[in-house]
Amino acid sequence: MIRRAIALAWLRVRREKGRTILGVAGITAIGALLFDMLLLGNGLLVSFRERLDRSGFDVRVIASESAVIAGPPIERVTAKTAILRRAPSIAAVQRVRLGSADVEGVQAAHHVTVAGVDPDALVPWSMIDGTFPSVGGPPAAIVINRNMSRVFHLMVGSRLVLEGRCGAALHPLPLQAQVSGIAAFQNDATDALTAASSYAAVAALCGESDSDRADMLLIRSNAAAGGADAAAAAARAALPDLHVLTNEQIVERFSRIEFSYFRQLSSVLTAVTLFFGLLLVAVLLTVSVNQQLGEMAALRALGLSRGRVMAGVLCESALLIGIGGTAAIPIGGMLSIWLDHILRSLPGIPADARFFVFTARALAIHAALLVAGAVLAALYPMRLVAVLPIAETLRREVVS
Amino acid sequence: MVAARDISRVFEMPAGPVHALRRVSLAVDAAEYVSVVGPSGCGKSTLLHLLGGIDVPTTGSVMVDGVDVGSLPDNARSAVRLKRIGLVFQRFFLLPMLTAWENVELPLAESGVGRAERRRRTKDLLEYVGLAERADHRPAQLSGGEMQRVAIARALANRPALLLADEPTGELDQATGAQIVALFDRLNADGTALVVVTHDAAVASRAGRTIQMRDGSIVGESHRS
Repeated sequence: MIRRAIALAWLRVRREKGRTILGVAGITAIGALLFDMLLLGNGLLVSFRERLDRSGFDVRVIASESAVIAGPPIERVTAKTAILRRAPSIAAVQRVRLGSADVEGVQAAHHVTVAGVDPDALVPWSMIDGTFPSVGGPPAAIVINRNMSRVFHLMVGSRLVLEGRCGAALHPLPLQAQVSGIAAFQNDATDALTAASSYAAVAALCGESDSDRADMLLIRSNAAAGGADAAAAAARAALPDLHVLTNEQIVERFSRIEFSYFRQLSSVLTAVTLFFGLLLVAVLLTVSVNQQLGEMAALRALGLSRGRVMAGVLCESALLIGIGGTAAIPIGGMLSIWLDHILRSLPGIPADARFFVFTARALAIHAALLVAGAVLAALYPMRLVAVLPIAETLRREVVS
Repeated sequence: MVAARDISRVFEMPAGPVHALRRVSLAVDAAEYVSVVGPSGCGKSTLLHLLGGIDVPTTGSVMVDGVDVGSLPDNARSAVRLKRIGLVFQRFFLLPMLTAWENVELPLAESGVGRAERRRRTKDLLEYVGLAERADHRPAQLSGGEMQRVAIARALANRPALLLADEPTGELDQATGAQIVALFDRLNADGTALVVVTHDAAVASRAGRTIQMRDGSIVGESHRS
């Protein structure tokens, strides 16, 4: 029965071109938006997870649960780092101290974010040019991002003076620095000015050479000794006063708190777009059924069962939504690339962040919503043909 | 073939019940040709709908091949209509997006006839009604008479033992109506039982038996000499 219903519905879809074009075009437009909402709903989270994983570290230790990136500092960090490095489940530990500075001789609007790390340990960036020497200075070896290189006309070997805008000292001493390399930093916005140097150099830059504090500890787990969970457990046992989060937990936390806005936004827009899609197909099918009540009644009179004519309406709905929904995927994909480009060009957005990420899950939800949509859109017109009184309709059609 | 026993049909209307048919009994034998005449609103079409199993009597029973169709569930009644009864309507009710060929083929496909047999049967039927050369035309490209002939071919698709026609010439001019009447004559001669509801005396006169109705009752019956 379903095969025959599909065959007849397909003929109708092919030959009633005006209605089909209207329906498919509408569903394609609505479906593209729906698909984009699904990509947006999960995309930022997927992108965030990818960026965390790309850093090379899978566990983070911070002083306060309230701020993952920059909370209060971790005190006596040298000893704590040493403790962590002894754990078998931990392959590498990096302490990160964040500061801010101006480049001497350049207008004050250009603030530079400076990260201080242990040059001997694994570093959270990718070198593009040059190196990050483990020993040296003065001048202090400094790694800069491409944006900083472009804005200040710096290249490997260039010298500059940084004036700290961080720490306890009101007027910290200028830091003589020499560019040793150009690197791609995580979380860099397209317009961000970022640099990194040794932990000691950044402490000096902030006027806190004698302090022993860091903003964050980054841990790479030992995959052969239990991975991130084992490393996090070891860190929690060793440093019970600090907060330890695996990448998984950070993503979960962002999903629950920071990114919930995007999820809610996309959920609302998904529901709205789906509703309009349903409305469009339901109206088209209802009008179509109402225009052909006589033919429907005649089909029933000729011996087509109630289920058979209902299946016909359902198949038409499925074909219209299926064709439109399939066409919506490449169009939605292209639209998402364009929208992603616009959003990523906003100030402060990490250059490698993506808002719309294609995932099999998004595709599966898109398909499931379309299937549900086809059924829902067909419900009312199906009911119309189901309760159609054959004899009365034939009589009425003749009289009219 | 088909027998209505003491059937009544009452429609519940806001202004009160309407007795469209009052205790009517009628039997139609195999290969018989019966016409039903009477003024508008006398219950002719209601009788035809009840004989065809597209409506059920308020009281009484309609037996098709010995089965009380009124007592059957909807699906089973649909199956009886599909396999045993052909219906022709005044307004043809062809599916507008299908060609003449596809309209005729539709009931065959619905009853599960294989593709090769469908093709052969559809071709034969369109030749039978003289429309083989119009097979690829859609209803909008056919004249009224051609549409009615396609509708008749469609009604005959599953070789029904009984063909019911409700004002089959009502939308046609006299000459075209005469073609349909001639086609009915041929059909009946080939062994199909016919019940034709009509206002047209010329159509009614072709039947072997004519039933006269008035106010929901059979008031007379005549046989062609």
